[in-house]
Amino acid sequence: MTKKFLFLTILLLLASPMVFAQTPGNPTPGGHWVPISAGFSMAIASGLCGLAQARAVAACAEGMARNPGAAAAIRFALLLGLVLIESLALYTFLIIFVKVS
Amino acid sequence: MPETELWITRIFNDYLAGPANAILILIGRAADPHPWANFIVMQILVAAIVIVVFAILRPRLSAERPGKLQHTFELVYEFVYGQAAEQVGHDGPRYAAFFGTIFIFILFSNLIGIIPGFESPTMNPSVPAGCALAVFAYYNFAGIQANGIGKYLSHFVGPMLILAPLMIPIELISHMARPLSLTIRLYANMFAGEKVTAVFLGLTYFLIPAVFMGLHVFVSLLQAYIFMLLTMLYVAGAVVHDH
Repeated sequence: MTKKFLFLTILLLLASPMVFAQTPGNPTPGGHWVPISAGFSMAIASGLCGLAQARAVAACAEGMARNPGAAAAIRFALLLGLVLIESLALYTFLIIFVKVS
Repeated sequence: MPETELWITRIFNDYLAGPANAILILIGRAADPHPWANFIVMQILVAAIVIVVFAILRPRLSAERPGKLQHTFELVYEFVYGQAAEQVGHDGPRYAAFFGTIFIFILFSNLIGIIPGFESPTMNPSVPAGCALAVFAYYNFAGIQANGIGKYLSHFVGPMLILAPLMIPIELISHMARPLSLTIRLYANMFAGEKVTAVFLGLTYFLIPAVFMGLHVFVSLLQAYIFMLLTMLYVAGAVVHDH
């Protein structure tokens, strides 16, 4: 199974230069793929960051429910974690804005 | 996309283009008909506002009869110093002036964009980059000042000497990534806030995107706090004494 998967992967990689032979008169590298990949990459980044933040919030809510005295410390850790995860989605957004204009 | 001028920027360009062009020529660049950029004028405005607010506050400080302004700034002081003592340890208050400056500057810069007719200077990538580089220089300087340069550089080697060839590139890259992530986090949050409001203004009726502006206010506060908090964490990591 692994050998088959490896063989298919190598075949796919070897076939990839054919993609570049499509639009000869395109000044920017990528061309009409840019908006499509921008949409997909932003969706993937937002989706995964949404999942990560959901886990963070769930852990925070459970911790605060078990130990209301530590709510301040848990809230602090939650905010720090949420902002750091948010910034990952924003890196993708920034790349999109840099590439799609 | 060409940048539209704010009314303040137009005033600066009309009357103060001469001194700005003199500075540009001094550093070797060509003179420009519009030398003042929006973000430079807004930064100067934010600095002027902060200076004026503190200049009004200082004579009104009184131990016997504290006024409203004093109460507000006592809250800010307690917040910044409390966080500094909690994050950096007992040396915290020594660095709290820098943390407070960063917090107040970024907070005012973020919030001034909500007012129509003004633009957040942090919406331009140069301003968060400047703040992040200042933080980078400051925490390295604080680390060298507290520990001496030999001991500070030995932090990069890691816990065991045998791991040094692995730890040094990892530590260097993570230290270089810190100002980059600080810049991008602040810039992207402010830029995205404005863009989202603008996009929804094009999609729906006039006042509905005000909800996004409310979110943007919350995000502005949070991002200013996070910038200050990460600065504290980096200073704490640099200043740590192995007792």
